[in-house]
Amino acid sequence: MTTTTTSEPEALLSHLHSADGSATFSYAGYTIVGAVNGPIEAQRRDELPEEALVDVVVRPAAGVGGTRERHLEGLLQSTLRQIILVTNFPRALIQITLQVTVAPENEYVNTKVIQANTNLPILPALIQTAILTLMSAAIPLTATLTSVVIAAIAEEGSTREIINPTVREVEKSCSLHVFAFTSHGDLILTQSEGEFTMKEWEDVLASAQRHCCPSTSGDVNMSDDLASGADFGTFTRSVLEAKIASDLYWK
Amino acid sequence: MATPKSMTLSSTTFAKLSPHPYLLANLQPADSSTTPTRTNGRQPSEARTPYINTSSLSHAHGSAVVRNGDTTVICGVRGETILTSAIPNYRAASAVDNSDSAQDEARDYDLLVPNIELATGCAPNFLPGVPPTTLAQTLSTRVYSLLHSSKLIDVNRLRIYPEEVGGGKSTGDGDEKMDEAEESDEYAVSEDKEVKAYWVLYIDVLFISFDGNPFDTAWTAILAALRDTKLPQAYWDADREMVLCKRSPAKMSRLDLRGLPVTCTAAVFTAKEKQKKGNGSYWVLVDPDRLEEGLCDETVTVVVDQLSGGTKLLGISKHGGTIVGPELMKTMVATAESRWEQIRAAIE
Repeated sequence: MTTTTTSEPEALLSHLHSADGSATFSYAGYTIVGAVNGPIEAQRRDELPEEALVDVVVRPAAGVGGTRERHLEGLLQSTLRQIILVTNFPRALIQITLQVTVAPENEYVNTKVIQANTNLPILPALIQTAILTLMSAAIPLTATLTSVVIAAIAEEGSTREIINPTVREVEKSCSLHVFAFTSHGDLILTQSEGEFTMKEWEDVLASAQRHCCPSTSGDVNMSDDLASGADFGTFTRSVLEAKIASDLYWK
Repeated sequence: MATPKSMTLSSTTFAKLSPHPYLLANLQPADSSTTPTRTNGRQPSEARTPYINTSSLSHAHGSAVVRNGDTTVICGVRGETILTSAIPNYRAASAVDNSDSAQDEARDYDLLVPNIELATGCAPNFLPGVPPTTLAQTLSTRVYSLLHSSKLIDVNRLRIYPEEVGGGKSTGDGDEKMDEAEESDEYAVSEDKEVKAYWVLYIDVLFISFDGNPFDTAWTAILAALRDTKLPQAYWDADREMVLCKRSPAKMSRLDLRGLPVTCTAAVFTAKEKQKKGNGSYWVLVDPDRLEEGLCDETVTVVVDQLSGGTKLLGISKHGGTIVGPELMKTMVATAESRWEQIRAAIE
């Protein structure tokens, strides 16, 4: 599965019939199936008296989940808990299961089956799947999220930013950044690794903001190369509009 | 504020009954005469002073005990050798000996194996006889990522080559020879030779007592232990087809670390306990303790290195809230810079 920044995101909503909500999302070489059950009864020892417990389970494309998946689950859990109206469902459980079915491979090297490699590039796809799944389950949210991964590659003294880099580009990059914004434009999650300066980080943040929250800057700025790739906010909206239109077709 | 004057509660009872108003009352005292502090007596941007003791484990190649307030961590580094013939999917790396493929060796062949264990009883919420908690697994992953992404360890130092010909009698009793002074620094000279084996560093971190900020303390311990690590001089003996080590302690050599990355974690405490409009007052609490960590949703971690002059960022991680934006991140980096000085003073 090769990754290209020009590939369009695709999504399928509510296709699992036993789960309360479900979605399959594929973009940039990743395909992830998500399911939400909730609000359901929480286990007695886990339940929180004043809010719903959000439980995120990430399962990798091959093998069983390891420490890397626990870390991703932790990041997703703390992020999603902020946007789900958890206080509406005290003592309940909202369980989000995300199964990675396709992950991009590096054609240049033999990758290990269980990739303990960098865990950042998969985060936007996981976040987007989780959001679509939560909306499919009609869980009340305060906001939706848009997320992007950007690799900074050093080239002749300057750095070039690549949105949704391929595995090869991630390998060559000097720093890798993931940002997630709420639909209000607030920065809710950022993970950066590699070697960079504060100035570079701010530059990357600015392009991520342009990419994820285009309404604030207007469409004029979108003419540069950063405009490639999808605007997840618009994408989520159009996917849901299409789903609602088809569901209400009988009227 | 929320402090009930009429009720006679001791402050510890108050803290146990309603921790959030307790911390808020400390940070936002009702009368202006008392200076606002955290419940542990520190200022919001004040970190605890770390105490570091190295080489306390006799059977590890390097070790460190780090005490940061009531969080105490012991870290041991043990080197083991692995033959390249025993590595699945091994590709001889010397053919493409440039800097970015060198880093991949450590990652591809798992030459760094960090593990973090939270000892039973180091804090009340860790129960005996359970599999590693989510916190332990998350910490292991973060340490693993940072070890690789900061390129702290020069992979050249982990390669084991065949013995230099002519450097002492290589006829079988190489490891008994104590006086092979003429073959010095063969790590530098043997660039074009075939790598026969690698050192694998097992980095084990054990929390003896846990009072918040586990990642910073664990990373400081790992850094101090790696700086303390001395590996014996190893070589591949072609006759016996195995890796041998020189016995002489004088032949032990330190790992050369690239830079001194220091992590700095802060938690964001909001005045409103419930959700979450982002316009209430908030405090950024550097180096949070266990009480504070339990009350804060949002945490920020910044990794900085100033060893080569200017400030180099090696990682930024923020999750769980929307308060820290670009402006607050700048002050976080400034805090991390002063934390770097503090850690360097303690480590050297």
